[in-house]
Amino acid sequence: MRIFGLNRRIVRALLGSQYAHMLEYRAEIALWALSGVLPFIMLSLWSGSDARSQLGLDGVALDRYFLSAFLVRQFSVVWMVYAFEEDALLGRLSPYLLQPLHPLWRYVASHLGEQLTRLPFAAGIAGVFFLIQPQAFWIPSLGGFLLAWLATWMAFAITFLLQSLIASLCFWSEKATALERLLFLPFLFFSGLLAPLTAFPPAVQEWVRWTPFPYLIDFPARVLSGDPVNLAAGFAAQLAWVALLLPLVLVLWRAGVRRYSAMGA
Amino acid sequence: MITVERLSKTYRVADKQPGLAGTLQHFLRRRQRDVSAVRDVSFAIAPGEMVGFLGANGAGKTTTLKMLCGLIYPSSGQVLVAGHQPQRRHPDFLRRITLVMGQKQQLIWDLPPMDSLRVNAAVYGIPDRVASRRIADLSDLLELGEELTRPVRKLSLGQRMKAELLAALLHEPEVLFLDEPTLGLDVNAQMRVRQFLAEYNRRTGATILLTSHYMADITALCPRVLLIHQGQLFHDGALDRLASRLAPERHVRLELKKPAPAEAFAGLGRLDSLENCEVNLRVDPASLTRVLAQILERFEVRDLEVNDPPIDQLIGELFRQGSL
Amino acid sequence: MGRYWRTLRRFWGTALATQLEYQLNVLVELLAVALSLGGSLLLLSLFFGPGRELGGWNWNQALIVQGFYTVFDGMTTAWLRPNLGAIVTYVREGTLDFVLLKPIDSQFWVSLRTFAPAGLSEVVLGLGLAAWGGHLSGVVLTPAVLVTVLMMLLVAALILYSLWFLIAATSIWFVKTWNATEVLRALLASGRYPLEAYPASLRLLFTLVLPVAFLTTVPAEVLLGRASLPLLALGFVLAGVFFAAARGFWLFALRHYTSASS
Repeated sequence: MRIFGLNRRIVRALLGSQYAHMLEYRAEIALWALSGVLPFIMLSLWSGSDARSQLGLDGVALDRYFLSAFLVRQFSVVWMVYAFEEDALLGRLSPYLLQPLHPLWRYVASHLGEQLTRLPFAAGIAGVFFLIQPQAFWIPSLGGFLLAWLATWMAFAITFLLQSLIASLCFWSEKATALERLLFLPFLFFSGLLAPLTAFPPAVQEWVRWTPFPYLIDFPARVLSGDPVNLAAGFAAQLAWVALLLPLVLVLWRAGVRRYSAMGA
Repeated sequence: MITVERLSKTYRVADKQPGLAGTLQHFLRRRQRDVSAVRDVSFAIAPGEMVGFLGANGAGKTTTLKMLCGLIYPSSGQVLVAGHQPQRRHPDFLRRITLVMGQKQQLIWDLPPMDSLRVNAAVYGIPDRVASRRIADLSDLLELGEELTRPVRKLSLGQRMKAELLAALLHEPEVLFLDEPTLGLDVNAQMRVRQFLAEYNRRTGATILLTSHYMADITALCPRVLLIHQGQLFHDGALDRLASRLAPERHVRLELKKPAPAEAFAGLGRLDSLENCEVNLRVDPASLTRVLAQILERFEVRDLEVNDPPIDQLIGELFRQGSL
Repeated sequence: MGRYWRTLRRFWGTALATQLEYQLNVLVELLAVALSLGGSLLLLSLFFGPGRELGGWNWNQALIVQGFYTVFDGMTTAWLRPNLGAIVTYVREGTLDFVLLKPIDSQFWVSLRTFAPAGLSEVVLGLGLAAWGGHLSGVVLTPAVLVTVLMMLLVAALILYSLWFLIAATSIWFVKTWNATEVLRALLASGRYPLEAYPASLRLLFTLVLPVAFLTTVPAEVLLGRASLPLLALGFVLAGVFFAAARGFWLFALRHYTSASS
């Protein structure tokens, strides 16, 4: 019995093989985790700045926010469009398309495998952070942790769908990944990775809330760090974005595959 | 042109056992092995010769070739190419040699070969007028025309290889090192490359060293063959002598309608295997026709196949026989 | 020498031609540069407001730092990433052999083989921004100041190149850690902001260990006429040390490559 083309056996095989595959690249993944230190740099800037009063977060709360932002980023980072471009270039797509499994599931599996491999390194960096700032140490309640995990998962889903959208465009243009470069910029500035949403002027905040970006880092990070935040509104927004993007991706993908086979895969 | 004396290359390789216990042991006390890639090889090549390095995969051909280029430092022994020690990579040495590797390219992927040729002209200090003339001559010989202005990624493998050769020969080197140049090419393309190399050698008197594990490359091009097996030089001499020594017997595979006992094949050849109706025989080449005639007379044959054993097997057998 | 110059012209001519093969890419890159700069300025403005300062630097002065950061980010995009990022590809595909057999210095080839034109636009924008910030801060551009600023920018470029090169050259041993330069890039992002905006402990790190300070803050200080001679001297010394280390390390790496490859 298959749900969305999956059953327990396929899931186990996919996840197992992808995890083993990612373990081979431990060193590279550790470095990717390390290259995510930007939130910590921003933290040191914000902590010393007069402007932090408008953040609504201070001292320990600020430390926790940025650490949470770092962790959320580690477990919601998506690189699917680059893997897809390489697969398309090397002709690996054709065999994938011939199998009774939607190719996107493969990329989901490889991301999950990568996240699992990344876990010890992210935890290690968090540990070092707590050594430097022991007063910021906290352990979230079980409920809080589960909610944060869910929020991070949703953030991952939204980012994955956005990149899948761009990847589908690769069926039409060879270098569609350049669009990812463009999409990354508003993400970088408005997701909450460099500054919590409250750092922006209220007018900008209102407008940004209509985009998916603040729900990718800012919302999950606040849930994780225990900051009082409107859970209902946040989850509703995340759900809405997934509901919007999912059918779009599936339709575009199918159209793309048809074109791909028409052109001679 | 090339002298090699007692050349050897040994690698120190870490020996790691699988599993967690192996990883720990590897971390604490590394066990190392010495792998001998090339052992005590000596030969001399005169200018203008065309020589083939023949041997199975991993025999040490590419390692030897790379030591002649200076890309690998020998563990011991002497190498002199065009009066230079290759590993010093003196600019004068580098200008007199060239290396072409099958399946690896130095041409820029996204641009026409012409652009890569202009870069090479600059690197080797060739004035543009001279370069244009050489490109015209070589592309005539290689049968390249409008391919030179098409992006490399849009060329077929055979065309790409020809363009690679052009780029490699622009600076008129005296010594050509070719590492598996026909790898992956179709039969026609292989033939064209061989024709070109023979013609080039005839016209310019360049010394050509070729490694290959395709017997056909060597047969077509190299009057002299250096056979390398497990890092050692096994044969240095004319190809005809090697060919007849290497393949002393032809393989005959039979499929009979009815099984026959082993004694029935006495006098025909050496029985390799006999399984029901499938028979494998080794036959002396001189008496092949006679034996085949007798087989067709004596037995009811459903299928018959005559072939040469693969070169790896021949070389392996050669080693078992000992030195020549 | 003439041969090297002619080769360089050919290198970059072919690089430009390669880039222009993909026209959409060029447009997108230019757009990305513009948006990135815009976003960074927006972010920077969050730290400022009426009467606010960042580490003792006011808005106009901070613009200079941002400008110089953009110059070096452009340098990274134009030269460092495309060239030094290719070292690991050369090693993986075995095409480093071709480079070593050319009668031209291998470090020259590996470092300057190609360039990405989009980075140039960043360099130009960055210089423009720094000049604008300088103008707003009331800087008077005498020839002496200009020469010193350019010298310090060159010193900084040398430090940046050497650092990046040292890390990228380790690909000869560790093909799997090719993205170590990404960690460097992430840390370099700290150069967007003046050194004094950071706590004291990080300031030392950013001056001596990871000389980000010399990339952005010190040239800005020079432009504002505030730089001290010992600081400039330190910059020169660091540049010399790092560059020598990079060269020495490359020769060492090549010796290893030629001994160990098969």
